Amino acid sequence: MNTQDESVLKIRDVTKVYKGKGALFGASGKDVTALDRVSFDIFKGEIFGLVGESGSGKTTVGRLIVGLEDVSSGKIFLNGREVVGLKGRARKEFRSQVQMIFQDPYQSLNPQRAIYDTVSEPLKIHGVGNASTKRDLVREILQSVGLSPPDDFLFKYPHRLSGGQRQRVAIARAMVLKPTFVIADEPTSMLDASISAQIFNILLDMRNRLDVTQMFITHSLAAARYLCDRVAVIYRGNLMEIGSAEEVIRNPKHPYTQALLDAVPKFGHHRDVSRYGTLLIKDRDVAGENGCVFFPRCAVALEDRCAGSRPLLGRVSGEHRVACFLVEGA
Amino acid sequence: MALLEVDNLSIGYNTKKGYLKAVEKVSFDLEAGASLGFVGESGCGKTTIGMALMGLLPPNGSVKEGRILFEGKNTLEMTDEELRKIRWREMAMIFQAAMNALNPVQRVGNQIAEAILVHDPSVEKDQAMDQVENLFRLVGIPLDRLRDYPHQYSGGMKQRAVIAMALACRPKLIIADEPTTALDVIVQDQILGEIKELQKEFDLSIIFISHDISIVAHMCDHIGVMYAGQLVECGPREGVFESPAHPYTKALLSSFPTVTGKRSDLIPIPGETPNLVVPPHGCRFCDRCSGPEASCSTEPPQWVEIAPGHRALCCRC
Amino acid sequence: MSKQNENSMGPERHPWVSSFLEGWSIFRQNLLGKIGLTLLVMFALMALCSYIPPWISPIYDPMTGVDPDITSCSGPCLRHWLGTDFMGRDILSQLLAGARIAFMVGISAAVMSIVLGVSIGMTAGYMGRFIDTLLMRLADMIMVMPTLLVVLLLSAVFGQLNIWTIVLIIALFRWPGVSRIIRGQTLSLKQRPFIEAAKVAGASHFRIIFIHIMPNVLPLAFLFMTFRVTSAIITEAALAFLGFGDPGTVSWGMMLQWVWKTGHMFQAPYWLLPPGICISLITLSFYMLGRAMDEVLDPRLRKEDQTD
Ligand SMILES: Nc1ncnc2c1ncn2[C@@H]1O[C@H](COP(=O)(O)OP(=O)(O)OP(=O)(O)O)[C@@H](O)[C@H]1O
Ligand SMILES: Nc1ncnc2c1ncn2[C@@H]1O[C@H](COP(=O)(O)OP(=O)(O)OP(=O)(O)O)[C@@H](O)[C@H]1O
Ligand code: SF4
Ligand SMILES: [Mg+2]
Ligand SMILES: [Mg+2]
Repeated sequence: MNTQDESVLKIRDVTKVYKGKGALFGASGKDVTALDRVSFDIFKGEIFGLVGESGSGKTTVGRLIVGLEDVSSGKIFLNGREVVGLKGRARKEFRSQVQMIFQDPYQSLNPQRAIYDTVSEPLKIHGVGNASTKRDLVREILQSVGLSPPDDFLFKYPHRLSGGQRQRVAIARAMVLKPTFVIADEPTSMLDASISAQIFNILLDMRNRLDVTQMFITHSLAAARYLCDRVAVIYRGNLMEIGSAEEVIRNPKHPYTQALLDAVPKFGHHRDVSRYGTLLIKDRDVAGENGCVFFPRCAVALEDRCAGSRPLLGRVSGEHRVACFLVEGA
Repeated sequence: MALLEVDNLSIGYNTKKGYLKAVEKVSFDLEAGASLGFVGESGCGKTTIGMALMGLLPPNGSVKEGRILFEGKNTLEMTDEELRKIRWREMAMIFQAAMNALNPVQRVGNQIAEAILVHDPSVEKDQAMDQVENLFRLVGIPLDRLRDYPHQYSGGMKQRAVIAMALACRPKLIIADEPTTALDVIVQDQILGEIKELQKEFDLSIIFISHDISIVAHMCDHIGVMYAGQLVECGPREGVFESPAHPYTKALLSSFPTVTGKRSDLIPIPGETPNLVVPPHGCRFCDRCSGPEASCSTEPPQWVEIAPGHRALCCRC
Repeated sequence: MSKQNENSMGPERHPWVSSFLEGWSIFRQNLLGKIGLTLLVMFALMALCSYIPPWISPIYDPMTGVDPDITSCSGPCLRHWLGTDFMGRDILSQLLAGARIAFMVGISAAVMSIVLGVSIGMTAGYMGRFIDTLLMRLADMIMVMPTLLVVLLLSAVFGQLNIWTIVLIIALFRWPGVSRIIRGQTLSLKQRPFIEAAKVAGASHFRIIFIHIMPNVLPLAFLFMTFRVTSAIITEAALAFLGFGDPGTVSWGMMLQWVWKTGHMFQAPYWLLPPGICISLITLSFYMLGRAMDEVLDPRLRKEDQTD
């Protein structure tokens, strides 16, 4: 079992509240709690999957880690070092170790800059290498994300590339400094299903060869299963289930995870795979705020218990933990 | 007689770089109440086929050859007037990314009512509003959201509204172009389920377009796999997915992660799609194919019958 | 890699070059733009030609050249195609020199105000919060100040103003409009993932503003430049006409002022009309050019998000 020392990233009780923008237009002035006391660890060399539906707070986790957004409360540690509020050199060093790959490759590359400029930018910022070593590093990384021959791409501009190629450039930019930790935020959701596999394999390759620990954000359990060692399922800013990918997907315990699995379109020999049927199509009305966050949509809820208090993550077996009253041990 | 018969359909676009052969020699038919799914990479011509069926190709696009027989009548020879009569009332389309094309400054209910009024002048305004209420019930949007604006809707609700709009005139055929692409799995599952139910209820024929084979497999009895403007394999779902014949279909299937069964390595398809202005002379999939034969790059492949109703465009099958 | 690849790679066209070529093809179909451009080329030729008359003979010097045979204002003749002014100076050579000054004033004031407006707009939009508020309040304040009045006051205090001082003042008064637009653009660019990606990579604010944001707002800035040129030329002409111009330069406004001061307003149309027409035409031509560019740029600005 992994020990504390091996964790690259530690997230402890992180909460993020987006303040409503003034009450100028009435109802829009509400605060949104995007994350609610989320804690988990990511271990060295693993790909950690964060799975959930739209609006569940996946991107928020990523943005908090890389510091694009400030935490409302809680702590984030990289290699045992608190990263919230880093300044000066420590911050710059942190910047060279943690990178992010964004969802939309059509938006994440500056249209005015050639591929070489984009990929070499982190090298320039952190003063790595001279002109010729920089170029070699860029060539090498382009080659390893499958843009070959690299010289064909160095001076192209993003508008000449397909979506899949752009996303590879974005991966190259994130990986060129050989960071310790990379967050990939739904890197294939804007791409064709058939191109996604290429991107998955590049990410796997980066882990295997460069030993880059990764957090992979997705709403597809199938992708998470293929790519990740461990996954966490998040719903409305709360972790519902966490464990090894195979465990969580083959043996889901939380009603929400089961609902997610039910929703995956099946095909081939497995069309008649059993359905869990744990999702209510119509939301339940809830009075209080204290209950399980999934209670309004949970088809198997215990009316009295689930509406009144919130279940905590409890161990089912080994690393597999679930936040649900129905599950033994939780 | 099939509801829809498409015969040797070729479509192209005039572009700056030359004549782009977006669809080449595509033939298929669709029985009333059946569902056909087109699957293929971005740019393979799926939307183009849908638009041609509706008679809504953009000005630079044109049908080069072929026939589209809808209930036995060739829509390509119809006048604009005749076409307008069957469009929406006989066949309707859920356009790609239509949910983002809702008019942001008009209430959703009114938009749908307006669509009804435009297509059926005999309907009174109140009747149209009643119809809209029925449609909302049908696609599962709460009636109290009738008077909301699109930005107050979630993605799933917008998509439902778009489906309601397509259903407004109770067509026999619906062409659904990537209706769930921007949605997350749970909403997608709900909407797919609803489409299936509507299909049963109204005995709809559906042409379902997606780049995601799992969705097409989930939704349709018949599958057409498209590559670079050509239909490369076509047949009943079980046939196509359980004994795929064309190398492209095989490659698609093995590049797809699943939640069930054994976790196996994904084999991505190498390379990029060919340029459709000057398509390769032989098989278009040749340079990405896992085991092409010498003749593949020189001779255009021929259709091969794999099983009754299941055919593939490949010389290796 | 093979040699062939090395060759075929070559530096690609910068997107600006390709958008310029594309824009040019739209521009060519625009009548307004074509007229504007033709007129401008004419004026540019005039400005270039302004060096010829003084070179032929010192009597054609627009400022100091006096025809010894002529002592008062006279109509067109062979020696002076457009006639002479009250001192016997050649009007044609003054007109040509005026074109040069108009370009100089117009373009340098426009460039300065654009540089100021773009830097301030980008800084305000990017930094946000307190800096944004401060800069935009400043912009508001300047925007509501009447330029002419301030220049009048200044020249009342400091005496006659040098032409460069006038250019500087015009520039200082004309940036707020630009900076508002650029700030808006910057605000929307700031949210774009490629800026966030640069932040995550550790880019400094300076780098983000000047390397990532600036190239994306410059096309808009160029558009504004044409409009700023117009307003700068008009302002200078107005100042000169009111008698607050640089007495050491021959601008069209200056010429008008001489016409007016010496009471030839209604006596010497050959003297009054050329500078008047030139001022109208040059401002009109920059304006038409700007409108045409607006049309070229506008659809692209709208659809820039979905470059395929
Ligand atoms: N800048 C913001 N201001 C206010 N609310 C926000 C902001 N960003 C996100 N939110 C809210 O926080 C919640 C979580 O958003 P987040 O983007 O993290 O979801 P996500 O899981 O990444 O969803 P998706 O799959 O759609 O990307 C949502 O309810 C969203 O509306
Ligand atoms: N209006 C147009 N003008 C020129 N070419 C076009 C036009 N519309 C589509 N094309 C081209 O025709 C081909 C087929 O396009 P189509 O939109 O049918 O593909 P698709 O399969 O629907 O792709 P996607 O999955 O991206 O929607 C593409 O190569 C595309 O570039
Ligand atoms: S705690 Fe109750 S409401 Fe929450 S998921 Fe479990 S059963 Fe459902
Ligand atoms: Mg997200
Ligand atoms: Mg399409």
